[in-house]
Amino acid sequence: MKRIETIRSALALAGLAGLLTIFGGAVRAEEPASSRIAGDFGPPQGEAIHAVLASPPNVPPPIHRSYPAKIIVELEVLEKEMPISEGVTYTFWTFGGTVPGSFIRVRQGDTVEFHLKNNPANKMPHNIDLHGVSGPGGGAASSFTAPGHESRFTFKALNEGVYVYHCATAPVGMHVANGMYGLLLVEPPQGLPAVDHEYYVMQGDFYTTGKYREKGLQPFDMARAIEERPTYVLFNGAEGALTGDRALVAKTNESVRIYVGNGGPNLVSSFHIIGAIFDRVRFEGGSNVQENVQTTLIPAGGAAVVEFRPRVPGSYVLVDHSIFRAFNKGALAILKVDGPENKSIYSGKELDAVYLGDRSQPNLSAVSAAAHAASGGVLTVKEQIEAGKALFQGTCSVCHQPDGAGMEGVFPPLAGSDFLAANPRQAIQILLQGRKGKITVNGKTYDSVMPPMSQLNDDEIANILTYVLNSWGNPGGHIDMDEVRKMRAALAKPAGSASE
Amino acid sequence: MALPSRRALAAACGLAALCVCVPLYAAPYTTVPGGLFRGVLTGNEDPPSPVARFSMRVTPVTNAEYLAFVQRVPRWRRGAVPILFADSDYLRACAGPTELGDAVSPEAPVTGVSWFAARAFCEDEGARLPTWLEWEYVAAADATRTDARSDPAWRARILAWYASSAEANKQRVGGEPNAYGVKDMHGLIWEWVEDFNALLVDADSRVQGDAEKLRFCGAGAITMKDRESYAILMRIALLSSMNAAGSTTTLGFRCARPLPETAP
Amino acid sequence: MTLCRLETVIRRWFAVTLMLLAACAAAAPPPSAELPPDSIYQLDIALQDQEGRSFHLAELRGTVYVVSMFYSSCQYACPTTIETVKHTLAQLPESRRGHARALMVSFDPKRDTVPVLERVAQEHGLDPQTWTLARTDEASARKLAAVLGVQYRALPDGDFNHNTRLLLIDRDGRIAGQTERIGKVEPTFVDRLRELAP
Repeated sequence: MKRIETIRSALALAGLAGLLTIFGGAVRAEEPASSRIAGDFGPPQGEAIHAVLASPPNVPPPIHRSYPAKIIVELEVLEKEMPISEGVTYTFWTFGGTVPGSFIRVRQGDTVEFHLKNNPANKMPHNIDLHGVSGPGGGAASSFTAPGHESRFTFKALNEGVYVYHCATAPVGMHVANGMYGLLLVEPPQGLPAVDHEYYVMQGDFYTTGKYREKGLQPFDMARAIEERPTYVLFNGAEGALTGDRALVAKTNESVRIYVGNGGPNLVSSFHIIGAIFDRVRFEGGSNVQENVQTTLIPAGGAAVVEFRPRVPGSYVLVDHSIFRAFNKGALAILKVDGPENKSIYSGKELDAVYLGDRSQPNLSAVSAAAHAASGGVLTVKEQIEAGKALFQGTCSVCHQPDGAGMEGVFPPLAGSDFLAANPRQAIQILLQGRKGKITVNGKTYDSVMPPMSQLNDDEIANILTYVLNSWGNPGGHIDMDEVRKMRAALAKPAGSASE
Repeated sequence: MALPSRRALAAACGLAALCVCVPLYAAPYTTVPGGLFRGVLTGNEDPPSPVARFSMRVTPVTNAEYLAFVQRVPRWRRGAVPILFADSDYLRACAGPTELGDAVSPEAPVTGVSWFAARAFCEDEGARLPTWLEWEYVAAADATRTDARSDPAWRARILAWYASSAEANKQRVGGEPNAYGVKDMHGLIWEWVEDFNALLVDADSRVQGDAEKLRFCGAGAITMKDRESYAILMRIALLSSMNAAGSTTTLGFRCARPLPETAP
Repeated sequence: MTLCRLETVIRRWFAVTLMLLAACAAAAPPPSAELPPDSIYQLDIALQDQEGRSFHLAELRGTVYVVSMFYSSCQYACPTTIETVKHTLAQLPESRRGHARALMVSFDPKRDTVPVLERVAQEHGLDPQTWTLARTDEASARKLAAVLGVQYRALPDGDFNHNTRLLLIDRDGRIAGQTERIGKVEPTFVDRLRELAP
């Protein structure tokens, strides 16, 4: 009896297994071939949708759609001269007129019909490589477009994530260095969790023949680019792009999500927000999430998504924590958070001038104004003073204090300084060469070291000194850019040669 | 007979008129001596390419010259040319088929012309387009040297032009001559060459050396001998993005004539 | 001669002239003003085929053509191209085979002389009823290539860098299809060919 029972059970089991196999097989056989590729949800449905693109730092609205659609993206390349810093311009090559280029937002499984237009006023041919495309060159092979023409190619967004796109026309490094990059977001089918603010920030390195903040139209410097010696490292293509009245904004306790890209061409970013901890980071823009992160690495040609909730009001500074880039090349942006204080979380004072440098003031428009006037030959002392004041903060004020009072026994005062009044022109030499050894100012002796301010340009020295001479009881007058230039040249002559 | 016959007088006037008018139409060409040249398309293991002596127009063809051409040769007027030879962008900046208009300066280089149109103009004056090699050979010169390519300043000057905005319609021809006496090789416009479709750039220029034998038979597309020749690379990129009936607002041309070899 | 006889002679002469004119009009190719504006037959190109016959490109009007360019010393892509064209034409049903022909133009006229073209034709078993291998002058080859989107560059050793392209030309010389794929027959190209050669 038992044996029969066992056999029956075995048979039943076998039969069940067989049935399962058959059914399982049948189910598999009925699946359409396309859904065997992950991310392919079948052919597009419904009407074709014209994609709404957005200019940085904004992003298009989240997608509320439950089916794959055909998305038509039209993106135009524009070569245009724009400010890269105050009084400094650069000829950028842009997708959509901005650096970074327009933000593109689609849903996983969408069929994207991409139209790339090259404005007829442009000089160069361009194409596009979207890292979110599975296909030769990411689209670059199909989109090589001469000025005045348009190309078109279609791809299916199989993978969700945030992807860099950039121009890949020879010489590729130059096209990227001139600002031809942006981000494509492919949302997962269920969408992303809602947040209060979404922002778009992209870092890039820039290479000019002139020095940092040297005024005028600066050409691209290929040699520096090859040597990876940028002049500027910037968020969103310009100093001040995201500071002052263009800072990102949020309120305390609101959720903030930033899609952070790195166009390169060369540098990796150590992305950090001073004063914030990232609750969640989709590092590399991929599917894995890291939590409680201070600084995240964003590769050149890569991206990440950071999310956090600022708890107290103030200015949160976005930097590349390779810190010289932030303070000497411009890799600095601000998220301004308003709202009630919460002393239990943070009782300290507002972010110091030290950190923000000259960016602690709303913006450096006075510097732009002075540069513009100078180029037209009509610079007034008043304009010099305004520009000099803006530059003084964070450069000189760190030691000499914002009111010129100096620090007792350490840094001499600038306010009402008899040392300055005796020989105002020696200040030029001090800024150019630095000063060490004993000096007496207003009856007190100082024996410190002041480093040469070699990062300052001639016009900046002239404006800063003009400001100092006209502030805090100093005798007034003004210093000319030409005077600084002559002295710089004279000081550069080897010792023993005739001086002016 | 005291007075010359009317017929003789008329003939004399005609001859005089011809003597005045022909020089006005004769475009200045200058002789470019031959030589050996290592261009960007010369392979690393190959010997330098010989460039035979030829003559080249001193400046690019101007709007005024091209206008005179279409006035004489109606089948090359905008609207008359079949689309096989010039598409809808042909001479778009001009006010009319035989009219420049205010936006177009007569002494600026003509742009918006297709490869076929440029060839037709050159054939009309007994010339042809320069080959890429001839063009590159002359373009390598600066004001004092016939080959300035190793000078970073030469490269930087050219790259600086690429960085500026396209203002070709307004700028006159006639800059400083280079060591060959040719002007405006850089800084005004891109220029058509006879063999523009020999430049075989893969549209995705990162695939250098990719073994796509079937696509570019003969061991791949452009192998840039000197990848630092970005100035030249960009010219190749622009030309290879064009098709023969197409044109663009910054692309013009000049003509060249082969010359008999000088006796040794 | 009497007036009547003169009249008869004149009339006869007139009639003959009219007939001759009519015959010429019928035999001559239609005036180029009637070619569509994108027809490649607007190119004024003189060629020679593998049997030494001279002809103008425009004379090919009236038949559907599969066109490509090549050079005889090409080791890899060009033989494959010829075979691909063969297989493409073979996709037409037996009854329609005669309705489409093939034209291969050399961009190496210096070395691809008439005897060389003939040799290539024989090596591949190319029936002259269907196949024309042709050569022309260098400038004309460049013009034809420009119109067809064929790119080629002569290398110092006499070899060539070139892309590969098959063009489908309709009866009036318009480009009706193209493919860069060789080694395999391109289905959409074949579909277009079938449409054009019913």
